[in-house]
Amino acid sequence: MIVVVLIAITVITTLPALGGVHIDLGAIARNWANGSERIAKLFHPDPSILPRTWKPLLETLEMAVVGAALSALLALPLSLWAARPSNPTRSRAGVRAVLNVVRAVPDLVYATILVAMVGVGALPGVITLVLFDLGIVVKLVSEAIDSADASYMEAGHAAGGTQTQINRLTALPQTWPVYASQVLYSLELNVRVSSILGLVGAGGLGRLIDEVRGFYRYGALSMIILEILVVVIAIEVASNYLRKRLR
Amino acid sequence: MGSGDHAPEGIPASGAWPIHLEDVIVRYPNGVVGLRGVSLSIAAGEMVSVVGLSGSGKSTMIRTINGLVPATSGTVRVGPYTVNELGGRRLRQVRGGIGMIFQGFNLADRASIYHNVLVGRFSHTPTWKTLLGVASHTDREIVMRALDSVGMLEKVWGRAGALSGGQKQRVAIARALSQEPEVMLADEPVASLDPPTAHSVMSDLKRVNTERGLTVLVNLHLMDLARQYTTRMIGLRAGEVVYDGPASSATDADFEAIYGRPIQSRDTLGQ
Repeated sequence: MIVVVLIAITVITTLPALGGVHIDLGAIARNWANGSERIAKLFHPDPSILPRTWKPLLETLEMAVVGAALSALLALPLSLWAARPSNPTRSRAGVRAVLNVVRAVPDLVYATILVAMVGVGALPGVITLVLFDLGIVVKLVSEAIDSADASYMEAGHAAGGTQTQINRLTALPQTWPVYASQVLYSLELNVRVSSILGLVGAGGLGRLIDEVRGFYRYGALSMIILEILVVVIAIEVASNYLRKRLR
Repeated sequence: MGSGDHAPEGIPASGAWPIHLEDVIVRYPNGVVGLRGVSLSIAAGEMVSVVGLSGSGKSTMIRTINGLVPATSGTVRVGPYTVNELGGRRLRQVRGGIGMIFQGFNLADRASIYHNVLVGRFSHTPTWKTLLGVASHTDREIVMRALDSVGMLEKVWGRAGALSGGQKQRVAIARALSQEPEVMLADEPVASLDPPTAHSVMSDLKRVNTERGLTVLVNLHLMDLARQYTTRMIGLRAGEVVYDGPASSATDADFEAIYGRPIQSRDTLGQ
């Protein structure tokens, strides 16, 4: 199996028709000096930037939480509509198609268009995060519903229940742990994503990152990265704790 | 059993329904034929076992009665309804009058026992009420009484997944009883249980028949359970009725005809 995969990868990456994948190892040696200088600077974080980061950091966190919460609200019914056991009708295909489109568009594209539509600030960022999270949460939760044992649904139908009744009373508690876990995961992702969205003017730390990078202040940049790292780890610890409580 | 409020003991519930199948054929979309022209009549209040090996069409037959499996042709009549002609709201209404329990219990393991039994009230509850999560006082009372009648009341707020197999099947019986049904269907209800538990679940079903007067149809593959707990036995082989008569006097030869092979030790539960 592994051999087959390796052969497939080799063949696909070297197909002349596709142009192959040009990897010039020599370039690494030629350009090494340019990068190493910057990396060296990155290893000397500059704490003087910290006071300026508090506000955008707070904004990033707000966007992450609000985005995750709004998408969670929308994702619950959508997940049930996108899974076969909880929605045996044809409408499932429609829901899935729309979500595939939502997922296919890169988050920076959403942010760029939304900044143009609703203006610079946190709002386009939040909307971007909602769309981004919806794609992930609905896909993962609906696939979990698809693969889970759904024999309780047969009992619900046998008792004369409508699909909505069955979903509300039994599918919901059955799905809850997976759903909550994915929502927490989307919150983790949001902190990372929302710190980038500022690059196109959608609020948060990204704008500051763009600025210090523009001035070659790699020390300050690494300080901000460290800050994001701390926040991401803190959220991860908190959500791991919550996940354990869910089981 | 707390059934006293519904029907006086020993007297059939006013609404027990008869079941009539007329030349019922079931052909699944993949071409497999489940039933090949089954005709039979079950009177209101009868306790009937359907015996056969796996693949004989027992599960298919019991599911045509509440429309979980649609009949390809023929007529399925339950009480005042012709099930095979119904769909949507009317079908759900008939199903509300037909309780069903399953081999695998079919409980939502992460939901509470209370919510699992509340499933039995679906056909009596408007969808919007279920959606809002409000259960009427009557519904709560019916659920509690059903749980009490199977001895599971003290566990009502626990998770269904935490129960043993026998307890799960009792909760499933409570779920069916909370429908206040006219007919009770049981698809291999004891196949996943150990012998003592199997006997106590069969006794529960027997009581549903004698005390509430429901028509009970139970799928079994074990001959001694059929003889001991039911009065009439229907034998199925390859989708056809090959035996229909009293259960207690069915001979080993009758069972061999149903199974299509000599009796083996695994055809009885023992004890």
